[in-house]
Order: sequence, then C-alpha cells, then structure tokens
Amino acid sequence: MEEGKVYASDVFAHLEMLEMRDHEAALKEEEELLQEEKLARLKARVKELRLQRDELRAKLDLQEKRQLEKEGPASDPAQFSPRAVLQWKIKSLQAMLQVFYLTGIGAKLTRRGVCFCISTAYEGTYLGSYYLDLLTKSEVKIYRHSVPAFIPLKQIAEQYLQTDIRRFLSVLSDQLNAYAGRRYQADQLQEHFSDQIKGTLQRNSLYNLLVFNYNVSSKSKTFPFNVRLLYGDLCCSLPTEVIVSCRLDAPASLTETAAAHSDLFRRMPLHKAFRSFSSTG
Amino acid sequence: MDSNICEVYEDEIQSLEEEIKLLAGKYEDSQQESTFFSDEEILMSIKSFQRELRGESEGYESLSDLKAQLESLETDLSFLMKFTGIQFTSHSKKTLEKTRNRTVRKHRLSGNCRSLSFQLEFQLLEMQNKAGVSAVITDLSIIMEPGGDSDLSKFVSSTEERGSLLTFFRSLSSYAEWYEHRRCTFLHFKNKYPDTVTLPEGLLGDYILLRNPKASGFELMIVWKIHINEEGRTTPVLDLLTKVPEQVLEQKMATIENAPTHFRSMLLLCGIEAAIENLVKVFGLER
Repeated sequence: MEEGKVYASDVFAHLEMLEMRDHEAALKEEEELLQEEKLARLKARVKELRLQRDELRAKLDLQEKRQLEKEGPASDPAQFSPRAVLQWKIKSLQAMLQVFYLTGIGAKLTRRGVCFCISTAYEGTYLGSYYLDLLTKSEVKIYRHSVPAFIPLKQIAEQYLQTDIRRFLSVLSDQLNAYAGRRYQADQLQEHFSDQIKGTLQRNSLYNLLVFNYNVSSKSKTFPFNVRLLYGDLCCSLPTEVIVSCRLDAPASLTETAAAHSDLFRRMPLHKAFRSFSSTG
Repeated sequence: MDSNICEVYEDEIQSLEEEIKLLAGKYEDSQQESTFFSDEEILMSIKSFQRELRGESEGYESLSDLKAQLESLETDLSFLMKFTGIQFTSHSKKTLEKTRNRTVRKHRLSGNCRSLSFQLEFQLLEMQNKAGVSAVITDLSIIMEPGGDSDLSKFVSSTEERGSLLTFFRSLSSYAEWYEHRRCTFLHFKNKYPDTVTLPEGLLGDYILLRNPKASGFELMIVWKIHINEEGRTTPVLDLLTKVPEQVLEQKMATIENAPTHFRSMLLLCGIEAAIENLVKVFGLER
C-alpha cells in the first residue's frame, strides 16, 4: 500500500474478510453449541437407560431370590391386575397350543370348518409345517393347503377324508414326516460331508431317489463310489433298495467295503452312516 | 474428537436398549412361568375387570377383546384334545437361557393319551438364524404308566436318546388306540361268555384264557401283543396257544394241531373280533 493512500476496494476487501471471519466464527460457535447439546442429550439418555437397566436387574434379582426361598408363589399374585391375570391365561393357553404343535398337530376352528397344521420333525429337530384348511359343513372338503404337489394328497383324501379324518391326517403326517426326514438327511450330508461328495447329489423332488458319488480312501488312494438309494416306502425315511458300486479297476478289497457301506445305508440315516464310516476309516 | 465421544455414547445407548429389551423379556417370562391362576381366579378377574370399567366404553372394548381371545383359544385347545385323544393335565416351563438369538426353555408336561399316562421333561432350544427360527429338543425324559411292556420301554428309551418328541406322540396315539381296542374287546368277550373266558392278568393284560368247564385241563390262550418298533410303527400281533390234556389230544390231534393256523387265517379273513368269537363258540361246544 502506498503510504498515506487508502483504497476503497482494499477497505471493502478487508471488511468482507472480517465479515466472513465473523460469520465463520459464529457458525463454528453454533456448531459447537449444537455438539455440546447433542453430547448432553446423549449423556442424559445413557444415564436414563442405565437407570432403567439397573432397575430391571434389581427386579429380576428379587424374583430369583423369591424363587429360591420358595415361600409361596415366586411372583406376588397381588401384583397382577385383573387385565394382567387374563393376559396370563391367554399366554398360558398359547403355550399349551405350542406344545401341541410339538406333538405334530395344530388346529384352529374356523367359521366354515377347521384349519389343521401338520408339523414335521427329524428326531429332535423340527422341520417345516404344512397346513390344511378344511370345510366341514356338509361333506369334508379341502379348501386350501400348503402340501407340496409331489405328495399324493388327492389319493389319501379319496381314501380317508370322508370316513376317518384322524386316519387321513395320520397317513398324511406319516408321508410328510418321511419326506421331511429324507430331505433333512440329504441336506445334512451336503452340509457336513461335502468334501467327500463328488459332484452334486441327484435327487427327485420327493427325495425318494438319490444318486451320488463319494470318495473312499484306501491305502492313501481315493476311489469313487457310486450309490443309488431308492426309498420305496413313502412313509419311511430309510431306503428299501441300495446299490453301491465302484469302478471296475478298483481293488478287490473295496467290494467288501462297498457291501459294508450298502448295509449301513440300509440301516442308518445317511448322515449317520457317513459319520460312522468316516470315523472307522 | 467430539464425534468419537458421540459414537461411544451412541454405541452404549444401543447396547443398553438391547439389554433392557432382553431383561424385560426375561422378567415377563419369569412372571408368566412362576405364577398360576386357577379357573375360578380367572373368572373372578373377569368380574372384577368388569366392575372396574363400569361405563368406560373404551375399556369394555379391550375386555371383550380379551374375553373373545380367551374363548377362541380355549375352544381350539379343547377341540385338539378331543380330536387327538391327548389330554394335558399340567404344563410348566422355565426359561433357562435367553439371548438375542437363542432361547432355551425347560418344559415339564404330564397328561394322558386315552388310558395311558405320561410325564415328560425336555429342553427346547430355539435359535434365530437367516432361515427363520429353528427348534430342537434335547434332554428328553419320559415316564410312562403303565410302563411294564418291554416293547414300549425299548421304544421309550430310543425316543429319549434321539429326542424324538414328535415321533413319541404320534406313536403313542396309535399305540393307545390299539391298547384301548384290546381292552374293550377283552371286556366284551368276558361279559358275553363269562363261563368260558377268563382274564388272569386282567383287562390290561395281553392274553385271555378260554376254559371249557366240562373238559378240565383243556385251555386255549389267545395272546394279543401290541408291537411297537423303534420308529414307532405299531402293529398288533395275535396268536393262539393250546394246553391240551393227554386224552383230548389223542382224540382231536389234527384239529388241535391246526388250531393256531386256522386262527391266524380267520384273523386275516374276518378280523379280530370275529376270529375270537368263532373260536370261543367252537370251544364252548366241545364235549
């Protein structure tokens, strides 16, 4: 700047700069204020939640103590308002219906009939469930259902539905459970023994015909075995026909192994058979 | 810097909210599981709820909703019990473990299926995964009454080992039906032919004796066993055993030797009752 000379543009520029600095400072202050408020809110919320959590923990501890003392009911019945008592009963009935589901059957009465629910399981593992909405006004009719198409529902219905609903459901449940069991075995095989299975498992939608190749090791060499499982009894989850074959160039000792495996497949579920010859080698 | 602190707080808030949800659930479960209200107490609660409302229309809606829900559940339950023949007399459960993805509950159940009673205990593990909720039974223990039958006890042991609760109930149903059918049939014949038919092991035993009052020592034993295999398939197996004194044997050797075979054919041809009826009649006419 020339001595003594002050240019208006410089002054303006300077003022602008000051304004901007001011503005920025104000924004920053606002931001900082907001941050502080946010922090304060979060801190307060944490405090509130911690308190809630500690109260709940104390309630639970008290409950546990009362249960251990076993003096009278663990929960004070007086704590239950009439509404709470009714809700208790509702939950208790729902629990009972859930137990029925565990036994294989559920039912709900409808305006036109009954809606049954057939549950399936393999040993202790519950698999899918299927429902049947029945009309029972005049003759019994299946209104709608979720039974897969490859289960012969029509034939079973023709045989039993009109005369003995219990028998109808029982036969259907046998087939559904057997199908679910066969599928479960195949799934378990693929999940736990995929390293031994060569290629893909070939099967039909009813899972009553399974063909696959698996590796058998003998004297540090692996040989492919082919197995064909036919489940002739649709109500059964074990095969009726088992063919285990190895290649023609395989050593003679393997024919014995093939026969042993064939026997195992006939007697045991797939994944258990695999487990047993995996461990015995 | 500040944003880090915010994040820390936000994380803690999320974990606290989850924990609170879990604890509240546990508390509710515990309340539910450790209380019991009898049917009278339920009725009293409905009455006192009605008294409380007295004119508040809003409350009446929720009361009638609750009552309707209660009724519908009770009707469904009573239908199921009648339909399946399985009556549960008591059920209690206790939540042993509850985390975000996993719940373990211990159940105690007792009841009867027609004339057979059972008491069970098991643990139910429910897990939340991508495919939905999975349920698995472990630690299954079953006590049956009457439990003497060796077939039945073998079946029960194998069921306990595998945790096959579903198979147990399905097989129990059919076993109980046969059991009941056998009892009724035995009773029917005992009442119809009181002189000829005796039940040394009572109505719940697995055989009846036919004694001809005139030819002493000559006995026919009709054995009716209910076989149940490890998968729970129930099959009735009937057979005929003869106890014949010397003199009678000499006279009627051929007939007596063929009796069991004839009995089995009759079973296949005309069913259990007709086969037994036929046998009793023929036996009673023997001199």
